[in-house]
Amino acid sequence: MSTIAIISSFADDAQCAHAIEELRAAQVGDFNTFSPIPSHRIEHAIGRKKSPVRWIVLMGGISGILTGLAITIGTTYEWRLDAGGKPLLSWPPFIIICFELMVLFGGIFGFLGVLMLSGIPATEIAPGYNGRFGEDRFGIMVRCDEAEAARVESMMRESGAEEIVREGVQ
Amino acid sequence: MSTNPKRAHRERAAAKPQAVESVADMTLQTVAGAMIAIGVIAFASALIRGAAAIAWEAYLVNLLFFLGVAQGGVVASAAFYLTQAKWGGSTLYRLGEAFAPFLWVGFFLFFGLYFGRSAIFPWVTHPIAQKAAWLNTPFLFARDGIGLGVMAAASFAFIRVSRGDDARAWTIATDDIELPPHSIRVLAPLVAVLFAVVYTLISFDLVMSLAPVWRSTLFGWYFFAGAFWSALTAMALTAVVLRARLGENNLFTNPIVMHDFGKMVFAFSVFWVYLVFAQYIVIWYGDLPVETFFIVQRVHHMPWSPLSVACLALIWLIPFTALMSVRAKKRPLILGSVAGLGLVGMWLERYVLVVPSLSLDAIPFGLTQFLISIAFLGAFLISAVPGLNRVAQAATSGEPFGDGAE
Repeated sequence: MSTIAIISSFADDAQCAHAIEELRAAQVGDFNTFSPIPSHRIEHAIGRKKSPVRWIVLMGGISGILTGLAITIGTTYEWRLDAGGKPLLSWPPFIIICFELMVLFGGIFGFLGVLMLSGIPATEIAPGYNGRFGEDRFGIMVRCDEAEAARVESMMRESGAEEIVREGVQ
Repeated sequence: MSTNPKRAHRERAAAKPQAVESVADMTLQTVAGAMIAIGVIAFASALIRGAAAIAWEAYLVNLLFFLGVAQGGVVASAAFYLTQAKWGGSTLYRLGEAFAPFLWVGFFLFFGLYFGRSAIFPWVTHPIAQKAAWLNTPFLFARDGIGLGVMAAASFAFIRVSRGDDARAWTIATDDIELPPHSIRVLAPLVAVLFAVVYTLISFDLVMSLAPVWRSTLFGWYFFAGAFWSALTAMALTAVVLRARLGENNLFTNPIVMHDFGKMVFAFSVFWVYLVFAQYIVIWYGDLPVETFFIVQRVHHMPWSPLSVACLALIWLIPFTALMSVRAKKRPLILGSVAGLGLVGMWLERYVLVVPSLSLDAIPFGLTQFLISIAFLGAFLISAVPGLNRVAQAATSGEPFGDGAE
């Protein structure tokens, strides 16, 4: 028994999402999806958990606040300046610096986190990818046992696949 | 797609929603009527007793607060058109417009201030020579009266179009990206811009002039942003209350809709505190006694200091922390409690803006002021009943709306 790859293409994301739901219900092999656009339908069908990028943003925000505190308090003590009789550590303007750095660091961490978690930049093209999946077609590549291939193919066809290709897997 | 969803929407939009029972039975109207009567008696007895200042302070605070809720709701509805909001279908718009009849009540009650002018406006008894051209009785009542009248008239013109068939069909058409009807596109921006202008004027004349030497340019914006937020919380609270009262399958049982109300309350609470801070930091930096005294009296001195802290907690800290998670926004109990506390906080905020200018050393809140506030609440509730019936009708009609489409 050898594993093979079945690549199907769809014209519509609803059909693609339906095929994904079928696949998940039948629990045959694992699969990859290709989509030219971000599609909520496909996202729901895949049923992935919420992205952990939020925690990365939180870390960025907290480190931004700490950096802001370090800069404001540090420079104040480095250069003691009595301004208008106000206390040395005057919090209201510090809040602004901390807030801005929180936003800046949170944004940068979030951006880098998205890149990291989604594996960008990709060094090689994912197996099964086809140029049309970047234009106007949705694709699913299923890796499964050869014995299951016929079942998977009929599942794809019933969901409305336009084209189904079998490929060997090294 | 075998069926034509567009036609289905049109047909459902064309069918008039069936009549629903009134949300409020006669009990509420009787109770509200009694509240008004008791408040009027308390007001009159205070005037007879010679406690006119206390009565007029409560009158002004409540006028500002309830007028703000009523007007803010209409502006929210206009803002929904301007942002093409379809997340609650027509219900959303009816909810914003429900409180509007109080605008006329408030318009007439505003002229009542004329009889209490010497009790509340310090510049009536001690005119300030340099500012007399602006701060004099006839000009103040003329400009603010015209402002409130124009505002109410524009609001009702807007509401009439908004309740019409064209606008209603637009609010529940989920599948097209057409603009709202033309008259809405004229009236909604008009209402929004008038709101900024008139309520800036109101805040300068009816709040800032109580401490006539104080000035802050940002104060008007801060004042009407607070009024707008109080309307959003009133809408969220109403949604939570109606959710339990309208039976199964009303729009408010949809967690997505509750989530959206939660987002609005959260977002504009942050906006309010942003304006508080923006104003505070400028005054703090400048450190001019003529500007700082207004804040020092309220934030650093007893007995007002705890009330100011309470405002900050009720309007910003509690909504911000309690509504941060998605799950909390969708829980009616949490959203309703936060909105209810927020309304209390906003009332308190108006109180802390007005009263320390007139009674610095003691908080004059007692039975008289409480009963007068109750009377205003009663008048507000009675005038909101017909609008709330429309909300109930829309919420139970099962019409389609934006978020349900996907």
